[in-house]
Order: sequence, then C-alpha cells, then structure tokens
Amino acid sequence: MRDGTILEARNLTKRFRIGNRDVEVLRGISLKVQRGEFVAVMGPSGSGKSTLLQLLGGLDRPTSGDVILDGEIVSQLSDREATHLRREKTGFVFQFFNLIPLLDVYENVALPYTIAGVDPRHGAAAARIRDVLEMVNLVWCERNRPDQLSAGEQQRVALARALVGSPALLLADEPTGNLDYATGGEILNELWRSCDERGQTIVLVTHDARAAAHADRVLVMGDGKIRDEIQLGRRKDSGAGPLIARLAQLGL
Amino acid sequence: MRRLSSLAWRNLQARLLRSVLTAAGVALGVAVLFASLSASATMDAAVSRAAADEMGHSALRVQALEERGLSRETVALVTKAAGVEVAAPALERKTYLAPSAALTPSATLPAPVTVLGIDAVAEPKLHDMPLSGGRLLTAADTLSAVITETLASGERLQIGDPITLNGAGSGPTDFSIVGIVAGDGSVPEAAGRLVMVPLSSAQALFGVTGVTRIDLSTGPGVTADELIGQLEATIKTEPYLLARTSDIADSLRAETADFRGTLLLVAAVVLFAGAFLIFNTLSMTVTERSREVGLLRAAGTTRSQVMGLVLLQAFALGAIGSAVGVVAGVGLSSLALSWVNSTGPISLDAPDISIGSVLLALLIGVLVTLAASLEPAWRAGRIPPVEAFRRGPKGAVAGAARLRWLVLVFAVLAIAALAVWPSGSPGGSGATLAAGGLTLSFGLLGPLVVYGLMLVAVLIVPVILGPLLRLAGIPFRVFRNEERLARSSLARDISRTTLTAGALVMGLAMVVALGTAAASVRQIGQRWLAETIPGSELLTSIHPISPTDPAIEEIAALPGVKSISPIALFGVPLGGVRQEAAAISGKDFAADGRLVFVPDGGDPATAFAALDAGGAVIVPKSLANQSDILLGDTLTFATGETQTKLRVVGIVAHSLPGDSQEAVLVGWTDALGPFGATGADFFAVRYQPGLESAARPEVDATASQYALESADLGSVRGTVGDALDRVFRLLDALALVAVLIAGLGLANTLSMSVLERGREIGVLRAIGMSSRQIWGMVVIEAGILGLAGALIGAVLGLLVGGLLVAWSSGGFGLTFDPPWVSIALAVSFGVLISVTASIYPAGVASRQSIVRALQHE
Ligand SMILES: Nc1ncnc2c1ncn2[C@@H]1O[C@H](COP(=O)(O)OP(=O)(O)OP(=O)(O)O)[C@@H](O)[C@H]1O
Ligand SMILES: [Mg+2]
Repeated sequence: MRDGTILEARNLTKRFRIGNRDVEVLRGISLKVQRGEFVAVMGPSGSGKSTLLQLLGGLDRPTSGDVILDGEIVSQLSDREATHLRREKTGFVFQFFNLIPLLDVYENVALPYTIAGVDPRHGAAAARIRDVLEMVNLVWCERNRPDQLSAGEQQRVALARALVGSPALLLADEPTGNLDYATGGEILNELWRSCDERGQTIVLVTHDARAAAHADRVLVMGDGKIRDEIQLGRRKDSGAGPLIARLAQLGL
Repeated sequence: MRRLSSLAWRNLQARLLRSVLTAAGVALGVAVLFASLSASATMDAAVSRAAADEMGHSALRVQALEERGLSRETVALVTKAAGVEVAAPALERKTYLAPSAALTPSATLPAPVTVLGIDAVAEPKLHDMPLSGGRLLTAADTLSAVITETLASGERLQIGDPITLNGAGSGPTDFSIVGIVAGDGSVPEAAGRLVMVPLSSAQALFGVTGVTRIDLSTGPGVTADELIGQLEATIKTEPYLLARTSDIADSLRAETADFRGTLLLVAAVVLFAGAFLIFNTLSMTVTERSREVGLLRAAGTTRSQVMGLVLLQAFALGAIGSAVGVVAGVGLSSLALSWVNSTGPISLDAPDISIGSVLLALLIGVLVTLAASLEPAWRAGRIPPVEAFRRGPKGAVAGAARLRWLVLVFAVLAIAALAVWPSGSPGGSGATLAAGGLTLSFGLLGPLVVYGLMLVAVLIVPVILGPLLRLAGIPFRVFRNEERLARSSLARDISRTTLTAGALVMGLAMVVALGTAAASVRQIGQRWLAETIPGSELLTSIHPISPTDPAIEEIAALPGVKSISPIALFGVPLGGVRQEAAAISGKDFAADGRLVFVPDGGDPATAFAALDAGGAVIVPKSLANQSDILLGDTLTFATGETQTKLRVVGIVAHSLPGDSQEAVLVGWTDALGPFGATGADFFAVRYQPGLESAARPEVDATASQYALESADLGSVRGTVGDALDRVFRLLDALALVAVLIAGLGLANTLSMSVLERGREIGVLRAIGMSSRQIWGMVVIEAGILGLAGALIGAVLGLLVGGLLVAWSSGGFGLTFDPPWVSIALAVSFGVLISVTASIYPAGVASRQSIVRALQHE
C-alpha cells in the first residue's frame, strides 16, 4: 500500500505583511506524506494549519522552501501550471462555502469535468459522478440545490466533488468544523473509507482530536512549526482515546 | 451544465433584476445612440434628396449673385458655351396669391407662394415633372401656369381655374392653370407652394429682365469640372456662383452638422453613463462572488476561464441591451425627428433605419459594454484560490474598482464618435443668426473638450465626495441616526459610490450645460437685434419694396410712429465669394443711435453720413479681423464689368445678421445702383416713447394691407428662440436619459448593498431599529447620493455651459446668466430619480427577517 512519497514539504516558511509589519506564520516546516496515507494536521487556532494546507495544494506560494507533489515542484509553478495541477492532482474540501449556490448537486460534483471542458452528462465522466454520488449516498438529491440540503449533506457533496477526479491528494480544511458530532462523524468515516478502500491520500486539517483520530498519523503544529508527530496506524476503530492520551502526554 | 460558460448564464438569471436593470441601462444608452445616428442619417439623406430635387438632371447650376439676376446676354453666353447640352434659365420669386393679399386689417398674412418662371422647352429636360393632371407648359404659352399638387389641394385649385399672382411692377395678373405636377415640385424652399409660369411672363410680372439661375446639363464626354472651367473663362461681366449637386448638398449639410454633432455628443455622454452602470454592476458582482471564484480557482479553473465568464456575462448584457436599445431607438428617433422637423431647413421623413446604422449601434453598444467590463473581468481573474478559505460572507480581496480604467471606455467611445462624426462640420466657432434660428457652432474640438471634462470630473469625484456627502446629508439631518448610517455606508466604498453617482453627474451636467448655453444664445440674439436694428418692430415683405413706396410714407405718418427705416439684405461678390450685405439708411441709424463702433473703427456721425452719400461701407469687426480690413481701406466688389469700390468708413462690433454671416453695410444709393438691389426687404419701426401699444394696431393693420408682415423684435427673438428651444429641449430630453440610467444604476447598487449588508441590517434590527427606520436609512442613502451627484453635476454643467458660451458669445461680453430655475429643477429631478430608485431596495431591506439575516452565512 505504501509505495513511496507522494507529497513532500521542505523547510517551508510563509510570511504575511500586515500593515508595515511582517508576520511569520510558518517557520520552516518539513514533512512527507506517503501514497495512500491519511495524515491529520492539528494545532490551535492561528497556528498556520490552513496556510500550510494552501501551500501544499498549490493555492499559494511559500515565502521560501518547496512543495513537491507527485514529483512536481508545486511551489515553483506559474499560476497557469498550478491551476492545471489543481485540476488534475488535488481535491479540496473547506469548512464553509464549498458549493456554487447556483448549481445543483450533480452539477457541483461535475464541476471539475465542466472546468476541464468535458461533458459530464455522458460516458465515463457520468459514470464516475454517479459512482461518487453513490459512495456519499446522495443520488436521491442530485437535482437539489445546495440551499435545500443540510450542512452535513452539503459537506458530503463537497467531498464527492473533491473525489470525483480521483485526485492524487485530497486536502480538507476543517470539513467537520461546522457540523454536529454525528454528522461530522459520517464525513470522517467517508474520508477514512476512501482512504482505506480506494487508497486515497488525504491531508486533513482540524483542531478536533476526535477528527484527527481517524488518521494514520497526526502532525501537531504550534507556533509555525511541527511540534510533534503521533503515529496511530491504520485501525478499523477510530476511537479518539489513544490520541487524546498521547496529546495529554505531550501537554497539549 | 455541460459547459463552464453556462455558469455565466446562470449568474445572470440568478440575479434577474440586476441583469434586467443593467441591460436596460445599456438599452437606454444604445437607444439614444441609435436615435442620434439614425436622425443624423435621415438628415443626411434628406439633404441629398433636397439637393437632388433641386438640381434634377442638371450637372451644374449657374446662380445669380445679385438680386437683379443674370442678364439676357449672360444667359445667351452660357447657353452657347461649349460643352453645354441643355440650358434651363429660370426666375424664382416669392409672392402672395391675390386676392388674399387684400386682407382685412389685422388679419395675419397667408403663406406665400414661390413663382418659378421657366423655359417651357428646356426645363422639363432637366427637371422631372410628373403630371397628375393636365399638361406641361409649351413655348406658345404666355399666361398659363402649372402648379403643384400640394398647392392645388391647399388652395382647392383645379385645372382650368385662374390663379392670380401679385407682381412687383405690375398689378395682380391672372394665369390659367393648365397642369398639375405631382408632389411638391422641384424647389425645396417653396415647401410645395410652387407655381410655374413661362419665364417671360414671370419677368413681366416682377418687372425684371434677369434670371435667378441657369441649370445646365453637359454634352457627351464633358464633365462638370470641364464645364466649370469653360464658363469661368467665358462669363466675366456678371457675378455668379457655380454649384454642383454635391456643392448644394454640402452647404445644406453644413447647416445641420452642428446639430448632428451635438446630438452625437449627448449620445456619447449617455452611453458613457451606461458604461458606468456595467462597470459598477460587474465590479460589485465580482466582489460579491469572490469566494465562489476562489472556489472555482481551487478546483482548477484558469484565470482566463474566470475572465471569460465575466466577459461573457458582459457580452450577454451588452448584446441584449443593445438589441433592445436599437428597437427603442427606432421609436426615439422618429419622435426626435418629428420634434425637430418644424425647425430645420429641410423636411424629414421617416427615420433612416439602414442595416448599417443598426449594426453600428449594436457594435458600439457591445464594444462599450466589453470595454467597461474588462477591469472587473481582469480583477476577477486575479482573485486567488485561497479566497475560498475565507470565513466571512464576502471577501475584500477583490478590491475596489479602479476608476482609471474608465479612461479606456472613454477612449473607445471617443474613437467611435470620431468615426461617425458628421462631415461638413465647420471648423471655426462662433454664433450665427441664421434665418431659421440661432445655431451654436463649436467645430469638433468643443465636443471633445466637453466630453473630456465629463471624464475628468468623474475621476475627481472620489476626492471631493467625502465632504460633499456631509454637505448633502444636511437636509436629511432630521433623521439623525439614519443619516449617519446612510452616509457611512456611502463612504464605505468610495469608488462604488462614485460610479453610482457618475451617471447622474454626467446626465445632469449635460442638462445644465445645454440649458446655460441655450439661455446665453437666446440672450445673444436679443442683444444682437437690439444693438443693430433701429426699431422695436419689423415689417417684412416677401419681395423687395422701394424705400420710397407710398405705403411707407403712409405708415410713417401714422400717430405714435417716430421713424421707419428701410433695410435690404442681398448678396455681393467680394473676393470671389458671396458676402452678405445690407442696405441701411445712415440718417436713421444715426438718429436712433444704433451700432457700436469699435475703437479706431471710425466716428459714427461721419460714417453714417458717408454711407448715405454713397461710395462707403461699414464692415463688422469679425470680417475686418478675418480679412485684415482697416478703416480707410477700399473694398472692391466684382459687380459686373465695372467694379464697385467702396471706402471703409466704419468698423462695428456687430452688424446686421444675415443668413449665414454678418452683413457689410452699404448706403441705399450704392445698393440700388451698382449692387442691383430692387428694394427693401423689411422696415424697422420705432415708436414715440410710451405710445407703442396705442399705435401698434393701426400700424399693423395698414402694413398688412400692403402685404407687409409685422413682427416685434421680441417675437423675432421669439421665433428664433422657439426653434432653438425645441432643439435644446430635444437634447435635454436625451441627456435626461443619462439621469434615468443613473436611476437604474442606483437601484442596482442599493439592491446589492442591501443584500451585502444583510447581517448588518439584522444586527441593527436586533438591537431595536424598526423596519421603518431601516427603510428610511436606505432611502436617505439614495437621497444623499442623489443630492451630492446632482450638485456635482450642476457645477460641472455650469462649467461646461460657460465654456460653450465663451466659445460662441461672439464678443457680446455676456454676463454669465444661467437659468437657475431650470437648474434647480434638474437637481430636484436627479434627487427624485435617486429616491424613487431606492424604494424597491429599501422595501427589501426593511422586510428582511432578522433571524434569517443573522444566520445568513
Ligand atoms: N492572507 C493573509 N494575510 C495576512 N495574514 C494572514 C493571512 N492568512 C492567514 N494569516 C494569518 O496567519 C496566521 C495563521 O492563519 P491560519 O488561517 O493558517 O491559521 P489556522 O491554524 O488555520 O487557524 P484556525 O484554526 O483558526 O483556522 C493567522 O494569525 C492569520 O491571521
Ligand atoms: Mg484554518
């Protein structure tokens, strides 16, 4: 299952200029993610988790350092190349506002095909869309618009869209932050199944230990650095007990 | 959704009201543009048609310059000139039909008729005369007449009826109608009231021996230019003008060029206002949707795809708006034409709706829309994908609209306007008091400067808007909280507020500028007439009357009349061109104290005495400056074999206004002698102080017995002013369309800002603001914006109006006297439109449920 590194970050830093003052949000982050691995990034609010995720997905460029995704140096791509990389290799799920309100569920899931100029209503694309919709259990509402769905259903649509193109890397930023415990659990289970059954590589950002407990490995961020790394391993049972125990051990 | 481009459609449909308002703004702009293009084309076509009607199949017209016309010898010379195939001489005069001239006192005079004395054989060869009854004239006819269908129906005349024409020398003469030609006949100025009689009979009727014109066709292989050379070599004894059809069309066209130019300027301003709406709406849409765009970008949409989406939306709005605009423009242009029709020198039919002008209007509409959408599109393309991570309901990253991009829109419009600028526009500037009305003429530079000023003004608006909003807020202070909140929400995004107010600023500036210019031009006319005419009433005759006619003595002897002074207007050949001249009585002018002599322009008493003695001329300053004429110089007029030399005895600030230029003033002896004038065209009557109202009725009654039409100077001003008012009112109406567009823009902006501020409004409601207060806040916002925009517009308009006046004041040293009442009305109209536009968004804001607003993500 683990056949090599798919994502690597080398000594990433990121500075923002706020007013006339530079704020260093990331101060030298290095990490490796193996193909098929489920990695969670934890840390307190403001520790730079989202910023890291943006750099890993090629949405933004680091101030220094490199991101290598599937053999390509993401951090040095032009906007055009980065766009194509996103189209082909990554899928995103955000905490809020994942869907285009004007489009129905099917159209939202089909968006990556539409963007690439592929007619999503026929052929392989249609089959694939149906497949992911079935996987997240949303075939019944494929003609509904996002505002007719619950928050959990909306997140499942977002997940389906992120998965529809079989991306090399799925990046999720607090996908359950907006949801109650049970609904959030469903989403996390979907994530875990896509990893376990289909070998989907996932980087999940969260501050919730129960969410992070689904991962194979947890990176703990603080102060713009990776403070700690907790190996949990692939388990059928995603109880948060062991992780919470480790975190407590670390004094977090 | 098969293709990404469908998302553009979805966006437009999702905000249907916004899309409709925006497209309506484009439609209004294009409607005015199309109306202006089509009115222009219609005038052009009418001009060409009038010229073609006038010339028929002739290649060339030899036009007499002097009133007595071209002599028999000249006619013979021209007829025999090599290269001439057919020569058709004719005499044209205006007169009244008898017995209508013997009118009951104080009745108004009927419309005159134009008598055309023709060569019965040659004339039909050059001019089509489709008969609707009877026959054409033959060489054997003497007292026979052919009249037009229009005259026949107007006067209920039939073939075989007699028609009695008042002559000049002889008394009324009876002609017998032998034929009726279809339509209006070949003399456009006759307006259909045309009587054709044999040339010799016409000459006898009016007591002249000359002809007014000779129309010529060329023999095989001879061009009009060759014939011109030939004639110039042959005829040297009498002054004449040579004209081709194209020359006649050109001179007619030049008369309408300024009007068409101004129309185009207004259209450009209105369209520019429409472009603001597009720019603003798309800008706001982009800002509003920046998270959505971020999401698309995160999912792999390229920058150019994002830009394409915005441009596609703009294209759709532009194309739909332009198409609707063209349809509305057809209606607008027929309205505009029928409104102007009565004032113009040429009559206009249905508007010209050529494929060309339709396509041009569509093209300009779409191009302007696209130009206006480039900046928002570009900005949308720059939205980074990380925008998708934002938690707030909207991102500020999309940033404020960059107003300097408007320069691009401005340039696109300016280039489009230059491409369709009416030809034949006189390059110079100045005001002329033409027969039909005063015309303003600025050339091409003027409109460009005016147009540029609009842009500059809009660009400086952001700088002055802050304090101005405070000022404009004062009237709304009664509602203290609402006013504060409204003002702060306007100040939040200055560039948006500027764009919203921009259309209003331009529309009102245009209205105020035109109003100021119109008032000043009217004032120029009044001063001009008062300065140069020795009387308060004019008695006008349609054909020249001897200055010593018994009628004049009779009127002069009436009680209350102080003086009556004969004036003739005619053309004289000076330096190879036609110069307008007026014969005046120096004694009368001296006694009445008319004319203002410039410094070093001679002594009035001496000058007037010299004029009466003969051999002297007074020239207007404009001509003196233009041709470097000094006091004491001698002007040589090419009157036939013997040239007439007149000494310049005076230079005056303004002289009598002729048809197209200021006249040179000569004495009656020279006018009747070498210049061949046959009599006075009008008489200026001065009353004893205080007796005018008592004496007027009798003077008018006596005058109309002698077929003299009376008009006081005020009503001369009046007709001039009326024609002018109609034209200016039309332009005003078109400029007001820009204000309407501003209303649409405001409705749009407020609707969006109410949506955007949903959460904020929810909070205000939650802490106890009533829905009435919310309503008031939005309406007050519109009121403040409207007032601020209207104030800037009024100031800008006064500036532009002042410039227009300065360009055209003709040295009258005009006091700047803007029509304050209309300006106040225009400002109120602007505020009213703004407030009206806010009612719908205010309703939406006040009805918003607090709970929903607060949970709104
Ligand atoms: N575009 C930006 N400009 C300036 N500062 C930024 C920007 N994006 C993030 N920051 C700052 O960087 C720091 C890290 O932000 P980031 O969103 O990565 O934190 P986070 O760990 O995701 O926090 P949370 O758990 O609240 O989402 C914050 O202090 C934030 O203010
Ligand atoms: Mg975050």
